[in-house]
Amino acid sequence: MSTKRIVLLVAALGAALFIFGRPSRAADGNFPIYFEGAKLVVKAQTTNRTLYLPVIEIIEFMGLPYTDSLALETLTIRSGNSRLVVTKNSGLISINDQIVFLPSPILRENDHWLAPIDFLSRGLTRMTRTEFRYRPGTSRIFAGVVQVPELVMNAQSLGSITRLTIRCGVPVDLKLRRDEQNNRAILMVGRAVDPLRERLDHKDRLVRSISFDDSDGDPKILIDLTNQVADIKLNSTDGNRIFFVDLLRKGETITEAPVPAETPGASPKVDPTQAARRVRVIVIDPGHGGMDTGTKSPTVLEKDLTLSLARKLRTALQMRLGATVLLTRDSDIAMDNEARSAVANNNQANLFVSLHAGYSSNKLDSGSSVYMMKEDFGDGFATAAVSRDRLFLPWYLGYRLNQQASARAAKILQDELIKAISGSRFPIRTAPLAVLSSATMPSLLLEVGNLNNTVNASTLTDDGFQKRLVGAIADAIRIFSETEQRSAN
Amino acid sequence: MPRHIKIGLIVLVIGFGVSFGFFVDVIGRIQSMVNEREIEENPFTPPAQPLYEATDPPMSVKIFFPGGSDDALLTTEEQTIFKSADVTNRAKQVLQKLLEGPHSEKLYPSLPEGTKLQDLFVSEQGIAFIDFSNTIAVNHPGGVLNEMATIYSIVDSLGYNLPEIKQVKILIGGTEKETLAGHCLLLLPFQMDLSMTDVMPHEEKTAAFSGPPSAKP
Ligand SMILES: [Zn+2]
Repeated sequence: MSTKRIVLLVAALGAALFIFGRPSRAADGNFPIYFEGAKLVVKAQTTNRTLYLPVIEIIEFMGLPYTDSLALETLTIRSGNSRLVVTKNSGLISINDQIVFLPSPILRENDHWLAPIDFLSRGLTRMTRTEFRYRPGTSRIFAGVVQVPELVMNAQSLGSITRLTIRCGVPVDLKLRRDEQNNRAILMVGRAVDPLRERLDHKDRLVRSISFDDSDGDPKILIDLTNQVADIKLNSTDGNRIFFVDLLRKGETITEAPVPAETPGASPKVDPTQAARRVRVIVIDPGHGGMDTGTKSPTVLEKDLTLSLARKLRTALQMRLGATVLLTRDSDIAMDNEARSAVANNNQANLFVSLHAGYSSNKLDSGSSVYMMKEDFGDGFATAAVSRDRLFLPWYLGYRLNQQASARAAKILQDELIKAISGSRFPIRTAPLAVLSSATMPSLLLEVGNLNNTVNASTLTDDGFQKRLVGAIADAIRIFSETEQRSAN
Repeated sequence: MPRHIKIGLIVLVIGFGVSFGFFVDVIGRIQSMVNEREIEENPFTPPAQPLYEATDPPMSVKIFFPGGSDDALLTTEEQTIFKSADVTNRAKQVLQKLLEGPHSEKLYPSLPEGTKLQDLFVSEQGIAFIDFSNTIAVNHPGGVLNEMATIYSIVDSLGYNLPEIKQVKILIGGTEKETLAGHCLLLLPFQMDLSMTDVMPHEEKTAAFSGPPSAKP
């Protein structure tokens, strides 16, 4: 009898899935479209996993005349001599009698024409020459020539204060407002921006959540506070491109907060090259981590090797320099490059070193190199002609401020490494490195060894070799610190 | 037939019917997902057109591969493509040569095994947008130098042979990626850089080229 029961159970389960397992419709949401000097907020809806926007609202806002034919179930949109025709439930649209395919059909629901988001770029752009830029996963569109800088947020607990750092590609005018009733701080951004992340995974004694919101067309950052926040301070630097929002805990005063002495808050104009003279804070970045193993040999993973080297280097530097040494990661976790350089930027590090292991197709190559950021990287991308093709310009090319100091550090590091490891070559190279591109202090990336060579790989994991390598790097950093101090005086 | 066996059989038949219906539905849904995916990935599946005509003259090109020299990251190898009228087709032929790998034993392939060219488009401003399959990242062995070799073999092979192409923007799996293997930033387009190769920039080609780049129809 138990077989019968199992059969019944399976049948019931099958029936239940059959009935309830249909794809469901996601929630509707507000969707701002930023035009030059104007914006429109529309209600978007997701149907069959495709984002749909109301057509009439958009074309009316753009001032395009149209004819809505109920009998033919078509909508004809005009612009100059061009004519665009869409048909209900069809993914084929006609632009001046040329057929264009959309990935999803046009819908007409409750007297509303709905078009998949691609309709803008594949349909309206071809007719009106207005470009629409949309990054999948976000809920905003930028139209036409509107220039949109990226906005990057990063939060950190620094003892009794929590610091939110906000960077923007162009100067902005952030306004802080405190909403006591909802226990929330609101930072009005005042212009269209493209947030790299909509929400920060940061929570501590002072902050419950930090998120970007422009669902009403007004871009702002919302900080949900706990009831332990006493005061909020907003400071800016780098010509209003970088902002620090410091949340102070109740019972603490600003002077007690462990804000680095050279916090560029008081004066908006701080010369970063001046501030970076003496090496007091060093950030070491063990490359890769988590799912991202980096390169590998049959026995060694780059992510493990870099972490082991970074920990040894931290100890060596603390002993020899008495400097503050921070690691971007001290466990096997994945991090994006932006977050790695943000650790250095937010802690006002004077030197940033990213550690990596190499791999060369040629087993006989040594693989080792000292890298600096490629000097002309980012050139020419700001010109109008090019930026039209580029959807999102980088928010910052921080490396440029310190290119010369980085070169001095690279030379010292090369000398020390060659001295310490006989027969080695550490050529100085430049590369468009993501992790260095936004670091605002002298910064280097050191890549050691060739994991395609098993002998080389086992040498790299040897404790004695690692100590020698780390000793040479620590020496180089000490010499760099001394020479920079001397040249500053 | 005893009553309880009859009931058992009926229940079995109903159970089978519902399960079959469920099975058909699942298959149908998977099918539609697959179809949708195909449409999403390439709504304009072009008919397989040859990259050049029988009448197109041969054109000698330099393809950049890693290895071969201690001083230069990339070394060129002389190869021949056909001078098709459309720069897109010439670019596709150059990348085809790169995907096939070097002839010389001293050189190494620069693209990971299994890499496919999914799409290529040259904008009016002369930016080549190249979409590679995910395998270019998944199968990449890693390392900064190796990543540079992959990127600049593409950028230099196109830029050196096709002066219409001023910049190269690499996409992976149809989308923008931050990096290829964790190091080199792909968010901005690349410009040709011959400093890490065994060739000198040729002035005559760049000088002879004036006026706007030929627009893609
Ligand atoms: Zn690496």
